[in-house]
Amino acid sequence: MSKEELSRVSENLTLETDESRREFLDKFTKGVFGGLVVGGVVSVLAPVQAKAQKEGSNLNESTPFKPFVLPPEQPGEDAILRMMRDIQRALKKPIEQRHWNMVIDLRKCVGCDACSVSCAAENKLPPGVIYRPVIQQEIGSYPNVGHITLPRPCMQCDEPPCVPVCPAEATWKRPDGIVAVDYDQCIGCRYCLNACPYNARTFDFGMEYIDDTADAPQVFLGKEKAGKYETEASYEYAKEWKRKEDASPIGNARKCHFCVPRIEKGMLPECVVTCIGRATYFGDGNDPDSLVSELIALPNAFRLKEEIGTRPSVYYIK
Amino acid sequence: MTREKMGNILVWILIIGFGAWGLPGMLDRFANGHVDTAYGSYIPWGLWISAYIWLIGLSAGALMISVMTYVFNIEAVKKVGKMAFLVAIATLVGAMISVGLDLGHPLRAFSLILNPNLHSMMGWMAVLYSAYFVTLCVELYFAIKKEQTRGEKQKSIKRILVVLGIWSIPLAFAFHGGVGGVFANVIAKPYWHGPMLPVVFLAGAFLSGGALFATVAYIWRPNQSKEEFLKMMIFLGKTTLALLILDEILELAEVYVGTFYSAYGEGHIWQEILFGQYWYTFWIVHLLIGVLIPLFLLTAKSKSPGAIALAGLLIAGSFLAVRLNIVTPGMLDPELNGIASAWVHSKLTFIYFPSVMEWQVLLFIVAVVMAVFMIGKKVLPIYQTAGEEL
Ligand code: SF4
Ligand code: SF4
Repeated sequence: MSKEELSRVSENLTLETDESRREFLDKFTKGVFGGLVVGGVVSVLAPVQAKAQKEGSNLNESTPFKPFVLPPEQPGEDAILRMMRDIQRALKKPIEQRHWNMVIDLRKCVGCDACSVSCAAENKLPPGVIYRPVIQQEIGSYPNVGHITLPRPCMQCDEPPCVPVCPAEATWKRPDGIVAVDYDQCIGCRYCLNACPYNARTFDFGMEYIDDTADAPQVFLGKEKAGKYETEASYEYAKEWKRKEDASPIGNARKCHFCVPRIEKGMLPECVVTCIGRATYFGDGNDPDSLVSELIALPNAFRLKEEIGTRPSVYYIK
Repeated sequence: MTREKMGNILVWILIIGFGAWGLPGMLDRFANGHVDTAYGSYIPWGLWISAYIWLIGLSAGALMISVMTYVFNIEAVKKVGKMAFLVAIATLVGAMISVGLDLGHPLRAFSLILNPNLHSMMGWMAVLYSAYFVTLCVELYFAIKKEQTRGEKQKSIKRILVVLGIWSIPLAFAFHGGVGGVFANVIAKPYWHGPMLPVVFLAGAFLSGGALFATVAYIWRPNQSKEEFLKMMIFLGKTTLALLILDEILELAEVYVGTFYSAYGEGHIWQEILFGQYWYTFWIVHLLIGVLIPLFLLTAKSKSPGAIALAGLLIAGSFLAVRLNIVTPGMLDPELNGIASAWVHSKLTFIYFPSVMEWQVLLFIVAVVMAVFMIGKKVLPIYQTAGEEL
């Protein structure tokens, strides 16, 4: 084990001890004061503690990143390689020093929906749940018309309106900028769906693509085989989620998470690698040498609904 | 047959009818979760959330009647305090079932009681409803106890009831104004967002709850003389009328501000409410049945208790339409133009009309509310008001 890995493990241990103590204190305070409305002032402190605890729960640190070898840098290489190097650099830093950003070049997007489909496949999204739809709109009136295509992932807002509204503290802002959802804690109230000014959250109604499929194995592929996709596990937030009746993520709010499990392994989000127009970029916005930092600095980079103060982590270029 | 008997039979027929009609919907809810509902991800709240605020409003209104009895000592409603608690409890139970069934994971909601996020208005709701439920039960207990005791003991119980009654005033304001806050705090929805909504919620709650109580007190009148009964009904009628006028002034203000210059977002929504596909919800169910006819009945010269009770029933029943018109239109506008056609699915639309299953579940919940009231009325000494009042 390298020195670096060793120090990471010891860091983990300290985190865990701190964690359980904090967890105990948190539970104790809430247990005693939670139900007391009169003790509101004390109770108000409780979620702050819980938030701190969540922020400390560092998914990245729990699965230490093992860098893999990338081909040497070459002039004119694909942006994918540069972004992978950017990610590797970022993952060597402590989580709170990175800030994941996405940049989408609207001039390059052809509106093919490849990102939406690959995202659905990566996260095993059921019908009615979508993380990154591509909005297509015609503007102007004939004959002066134009066409806009705008992929819409979760903006991973730095001031996310979806977070404070959650009654169960099931959604929170990670130190690396990603807004995460704890499926095991989410009660499925859908308040966050209403609070998101980008319609970026969808609810898992427990539907299946094969719901109305005929079941005749001799004649067709058969429901069981055709539905294999439905039972495949997804690995969102570095945990295995197998779809079965009533079990999370069914009944939960779901949204794009920048492919957390992939980035942890040093891979780019699925939508970035499958974008046929190379219109989507990803990396650490805190790293001045990263490609996304360069792109964000362009004068024609903008964010959606800037005026409402959500401070999205997703930038667009037009 | 006495009015009370007739009322009992009618309500039990309704309970059985609604229950039987609603049962398939309940079974569907438990077997298939939310699949057969008409709401989706872009209109995430529908009939059940509207029914929840409707019922919780009725509860808050009934609670205020009990406050009039025990805190303000209003003579006219002296003998109906316990019944007001019972109505408040029954409607609260219905509201909780309604919101519970709306959740993706209802059982997890219990953890909110001890572990709420107090940055969230909805987190506060968990705490406040628990406090409210406990308060109601304790109040009802003491209200019953009060009439079973005499002398010094009765006096001290009365004091307890006053304290509990005073405590329930801010509580009612907090939990029902808070429900308004759940909506009013959502910056993303211009139709909901703003300081007016919690006030509108409160006024509506007191109106609909008071109105419902006028009907209940008419059918199941306590042991009182004819004069006492008339006095009570006229008092309830006057209160309802005053609240109806207040509520309409607030509504007028909302419609006026929302439509006058077609304010951003809101103007279009008001257009939809007033002249859209479901125009009749506003004009017929709300305005005609819920406002104009009751207004006529309440201002009639005859002051007949029956007319007051009917007005109460019309207001309380049609108030669901008011709640529906608060909840669903707020979500009609896409946050980003073109989002609904970006990925097409029945759960990703901006169109909503409750499904048959949603209506069935609502009927079942209404049946439960009525059953809780009827059973409570039977097993608890709600009517033992003959004892000496202090
Ligand atoms: S885009 Fe919506 S879901 Fe994503 S962080 Fe912002 S408010 Fe939350
Ligand atoms: S749906 Fe889940 S994540 Fe969203 S606000 Fe409700 S409990 Fe929180």
